[in-house]
Amino acid sequence: MRAGEYFLSAFDTFRAQPIRTVLTLVSIAIGIVAIVAAGGAATALEQALTTEITASGAYSLVIQKQPSIITSGEQWRRYMRRRPISYGQASEYKRRIEGSGALVSLFSAAPSQTVRAGTEHTDPDVTLVGSDEAFFPMRNYQLAAGRPLVGEDIFYARMVAVIGNDVRQDLFPADTDPVGKEIQVQNQRFTIVGVLARKGGIFGQSQDNMVIIPIPVFVRAYAEEWNYSVSIFVRARNQAHLEHVFDESIGILRSIRNVRPGEENDFEIEELASIANQLGTFLRFVGLFGAFCGGIALVAAGVGIMNIMLISVRERTREIGVRKAVGATVRSILVQFLVEAIVLCQIGALGGIVLGMLFALLLSHLAGIELTIPIGWVVASIGLCTLVGVGFGAYPALKAARLNPIEALRYE
Amino acid sequence: MSTPPLIVLEGITKHYRMGSEIVEALRGVDLTIRRGEYVAIMGPSGSGKSTLMNIIGCLDTPTSGRYMLEGTDVSSLGDAALAAIRNRKIGFVFQTFNLLPRATALKNVELPLIYAGAPPQERRQRAIAALESVGLGDRLRHKPPELSGGQRQRVAIARALVTGPSIILADEPTGNLDSKTGMEIMALFHRIWQEGNTIVLVTHEEDIARHAHRIIRIRDGRVESDMPNPTPIVGAPLLV
Ligand SMILES: Nc1ncnc2c1ncn2[C@@H]1O[C@H](COP(=O)(O)OP(=O)(O)OP(=O)(O)O)[C@@H](O)[C@H]1O
Ligand SMILES: [Mg+2]
Repeated sequence: MRAGEYFLSAFDTFRAQPIRTVLTLVSIAIGIVAIVAAGGAATALEQALTTEITASGAYSLVIQKQPSIITSGEQWRRYMRRRPISYGQASEYKRRIEGSGALVSLFSAAPSQTVRAGTEHTDPDVTLVGSDEAFFPMRNYQLAAGRPLVGEDIFYARMVAVIGNDVRQDLFPADTDPVGKEIQVQNQRFTIVGVLARKGGIFGQSQDNMVIIPIPVFVRAYAEEWNYSVSIFVRARNQAHLEHVFDESIGILRSIRNVRPGEENDFEIEELASIANQLGTFLRFVGLFGAFCGGIALVAAGVGIMNIMLISVRERTREIGVRKAVGATVRSILVQFLVEAIVLCQIGALGGIVLGMLFALLLSHLAGIELTIPIGWVVASIGLCTLVGVGFGAYPALKAARLNPIEALRYE
Repeated sequence: MSTPPLIVLEGITKHYRMGSEIVEALRGVDLTIRRGEYVAIMGPSGSGKSTLMNIIGCLDTPTSGRYMLEGTDVSSLGDAALAAIRNRKIGFVFQTFNLLPRATALKNVELPLIYAGAPPQERRQRAIAALESVGLGDRLRHKPPELSGGQRQRVAIARALVTGPSIILADEPTGNLDSKTGMEIMALFHRIWQEGNTIVLVTHEEDIARHAHRIIRIRDGRVESDMPNPTPIVGAPLLV
């Protein structure tokens, strides 16, 4: 029997049992949707994260009181006991490290602020950031209007602010230019000098809903209300320089913060790339978990397929007898039923992949990131479905192939 | 140069195990059938006719004895070889037709050619020719449920003929048909025999058996008598 005949025969069978076929396809597709959607979303998030971080974070370090990723309450309590990094310490560090040619930006943030302008006000969810002129180029922040903070703003501690797009929309009509207008955060008045370009997306939302003021103003005006700690963003020229800056930073900070020899650092210094890696690992784990759930759904679908095929073999006993009488071998019957199972699984997989991609597209659209087709997941899905088809089709197919032709022909 | 007989059975037995009991369906059958013969096998129910046919048709293997088909011993062949013999050398016609109910007449007749590995174009042509030769050239697209009993049996006969087998085996081919339709089918068998085919036919009915040129009677798994029929009836002309 020619190979193509098995496929034609499979489609004849599907046509003869449309409802059964569709139900089987749906059960397979559901498993695959879960796998592809989870995989696609995780892959997209990971890529967005990587581009985000590499865009602004190549050869960069972050120095903070605590690590960026905290995985347990116990850790959190330990890091919270550390002394905050004061603006004075951070400034001293900046002065000393800049000699080595690194770019440094200091920043501190206060979440959940309400921003007012005249009678308008935002929800209490705006992040107030105190930072410096280096903040903008180092983060790759673009302006839609006005100017960023400049050195004089910091040096003279001017009461100026750059606002994010969401803040601007909340406070000002679309046709007015907010530059030059005044906003108020907790009794402090600031003159708007610039508006950030809209970023959107999960990583951009923080940028859109943010007000940036000079860090000395932040520290002077708000330091007493929050137990603030200054974070330091450092960018080196290349990998070798990064390693040099890394080591030097540790020395400088230990001396500034009076860490005695033999004692542990009381600050965290991390490469941005390694933070990205950790987040990536986490996302992959999330993706794998989704895939695992999809896998379980697939196994359930596989059991369903086996059940349906067993019924089908019983119903088609006579057909099998006829086929054997006119020249079918044990092998050709086996292959025929296996091909049916595999083709069914793969069509289900294709449907699931299309649906899963639509889901992933929807998710990534909501998250405002670009979807890339998770080829690896797609290939894995098709492979997995083939396995499911072979695995769960094998027993019914063997049963069909081993039927005694005489009994099969007599079967009522 | 003499070609070996088409079929030589020597001491064929077939035992079935039914729980602790052993049913001896065939108890030593010796039989020779030559090319071009038209043989009827008769006997009471349960005498072993179908069992014998299934062994001749390589659907079943004997418990003991030797079966030579066209000079080759097939008693010990494996599944693939037996399947190939069924495909190329045997044409089965059953009492219950045994057509694929969802496939058209054409597809049903093409089935053996699919297993023979014939290319689609050739397959179609040969199947159409076979259906035309049994008078069903205008029923190619009909499915079995849309055909009468006689027409279904003719599709089955076309399917048996389509690979050009060495022998046609028909187990009570008229058993499910009324007598008029039965006679039409017998006329068709007569013509097929005239065209040079070898036919072995199982039947209960003397009227049917008298179409054959040799009548073998079986009782309790043994050949009771094996006699030529000097006055075979020629079936009513086929009404196409
Ligand atoms: N698969 C089987 N298992 C057990 N016994 C069987 C089996 N097939 C046939 N037999 C027995 O073998 C004997 C011969 O059966 P077979 O079908 O050859 O008879 P038959 O001559 O064709 O009868 P009928 O005219 O009713 O078709 C019977 O006694 C039957 O019960
Ligand atoms: Mg019988």
